[in-house]
Amino acid sequence: MAHQIFKGIPVSSGIAIGKTYFLHRGTHTSTLRMDIEQSHAPQEVQRLQTAFTAALHDLEKIREKIPGELKEQTAIIDSHIMLLKDRKFQTAARNYVNERFINAEWALEKSVTDIEKAFSKIEDEYIRERIQDVRLVADRVKSQLYGTPTDIKSLTQRMILLASDLSPADTIELQLDKIMAFATVSGGKTPHAEIIARSLQIPAIVGIEGLSDIQDGQFVILDGFNGRMIVDPSEEELEHYTQLKYQFQEYQSQVNRNCYLPAETFDGYKINVSANIELFEEVAAVIDNGGEGIGLYRTEYSFLNRDDLPDEEELYEEYRDLSSIIYPQKVVIRTLDLGADKIATQFGPVREANPALGMRAIRFCRKHPKLFKTQLRAILRASVLGNVSIMFPMISGLQELFEVKEIYFEVRQELKSQGVSFNPVMPMGIMIELPSAVLIADMLAREVDFFSIGTNDLIQYSLGIDRTNKHVSYLYQPLHPAILRSIKSVVDAGHEAGIEVSLCGEVAADPYCIPILMGMQIDSISLNPQAIPGIKRIIRQATMDECKELLKKVLESDDVKTSNKLVKEMIFTNFPEELMFYTSLIEE
Amino acid sequence: MENIVDEQCFEVSISLDSEFGLHARPAAILAKEAQNYASDIKMVFNGSEVDAKSILDILTLAVPHGGHLVIRATGDDAQEAVKRIKKLINGRFEGNT
Repeated sequence: MAHQIFKGIPVSSGIAIGKTYFLHRGTHTSTLRMDIEQSHAPQEVQRLQTAFTAALHDLEKIREKIPGELKEQTAIIDSHIMLLKDRKFQTAARNYVNERFINAEWALEKSVTDIEKAFSKIEDEYIRERIQDVRLVADRVKSQLYGTPTDIKSLTQRMILLASDLSPADTIELQLDKIMAFATVSGGKTPHAEIIARSLQIPAIVGIEGLSDIQDGQFVILDGFNGRMIVDPSEEELEHYTQLKYQFQEYQSQVNRNCYLPAETFDGYKINVSANIELFEEVAAVIDNGGEGIGLYRTEYSFLNRDDLPDEEELYEEYRDLSSIIYPQKVVIRTLDLGADKIATQFGPVREANPALGMRAIRFCRKHPKLFKTQLRAILRASVLGNVSIMFPMISGLQELFEVKEIYFEVRQELKSQGVSFNPVMPMGIMIELPSAVLIADMLAREVDFFSIGTNDLIQYSLGIDRTNKHVSYLYQPLHPAILRSIKSVVDAGHEAGIEVSLCGEVAADPYCIPILMGMQIDSISLNPQAIPGIKRIIRQATMDECKELLKKVLESDDVKTSNKLVKEMIFTNFPEELMFYTSLIEE
Repeated sequence: MENIVDEQCFEVSISLDSEFGLHARPAAILAKEAQNYASDIKMVFNGSEVDAKSILDILTLAVPHGGHLVIRATGDDAQEAVKRIKKLINGRFEGNT
């Protein structure tokens, strides 16, 4: 493939330069060379053998179906069958695997090229053209090979992994140390790949169309800052990105060295910087990156990709382990925030015209009290150390909150009467992610111990857009005056009522948005663990006065463009380095 | 014209009367026939010797119409093999698929 640039959504920073490998390739494309471990040669030979056998089997089945009157047809198929069975052909390919330690596809390619060379010397044009039959047969074998891709475990060099989507199962099977970056076609519907990429600190891009057109073994640059993948880069591009890669590594090590310092401004304003995680395994990343506890533990993972539901014991153990490993830091456990379309089949198929506005999150839990109570019991039981808080997602109004609290207190009562211990003063909070909750934040604040503003959904619900829809994603503007006013009014209402307000959306990890949130005097932010060191560093370099001044200007501005410009200027003046190494939700 | 090279080796020389020379279909038929025998079977044309059990080898020989070739078989069933292959070539590969 000649020089080409693919664009997608950057989800994990960094630069990777290397060869591609497409996971579970379903489409037929050409192949490039990949080197395999010597010890994996027998497996690769077996792949080749299996592919030959399967292709032969297919042809024989086709041959059986040809009616007698089409004798000429069988002659061609017969010669193809003979080609497939040809010892020379198979041996040549096998030898390439065994002697050169290359992948089966490339070995096959090489042996076809050799045959082509031999045929090109033939003077008889008719026979010379039989090479086409050899090609056709090789293609059949090749498409069989795609059904059983080279075991990624056998690759010697680290690859840039391309995939339609990465399921949790894929990421479990993959030898992650063999992967230097990810790029996927699907647009972040499952954040799993992103989380894995971020916790491994490897660059990743999602939502790139046409990935399957890229050959395996193609040399590319993956730019996780800007969501660009450059196929067959020029000398200049290679030089530029190689330099950027080293600069970033240098910057990262510098930032990471200081990640344990508190996030305190020059003028003494302190902000708590905690982590959003959804897998227990990510706790290590929280600790490594100087996270001050877990501001959002997403509990969906234990309910996904299974046919049954987790029982109380399983959930209790998960939450208890989490609480003890992060102790004395705090962990905020959010109750199930899933749509009915995502959860185990025993609830029957749920088809909703509009799942985002349907039976999900707290509504789903209320409809299935048994499931909800199981989770509440598990969280309460895991709260004994005193560092666990509970949080309810997607609260739309006061009545709903009362009903949820009623169930919650019922469960507490049950535990009490059964003599099971829990923390009776466990903080209870809600996510503010619906415009209705923003408008009645003052009423809600009287009923809970803390707020957490979920800006990812708040922006989508407020502006009426699905950010994964590429036709309207341009409207996803964190600095839209309506969004800024919403966040500010929630912070003010919370503080008025004397409760803590935290923010756990992606804007918390956006260097451009941080000064604005600081200006609003947000108490804490919660973000992906890998972004913590950089964000803490910005906070440490800022002064509260600057942030308040910036906020004042931005709140007065009536258009997003001006706001974006103001914010950029401020960042550019104060933290020029951050501009280079961070992806921002703010438009150019 | 059959030659007994030794007890286990038989040879036959034959000229090809196929319309297009030894192209894909006859090559396939020939290789398939050769594969029915345990003997090692070679085909010689124009100084090149190839494996008669390999369709690719036969094709690369590119024996033209009227081309003169030698079939040489070595093994227990060598005699039977050369006889059958000769018959196949002389019969212009008819009656076989």
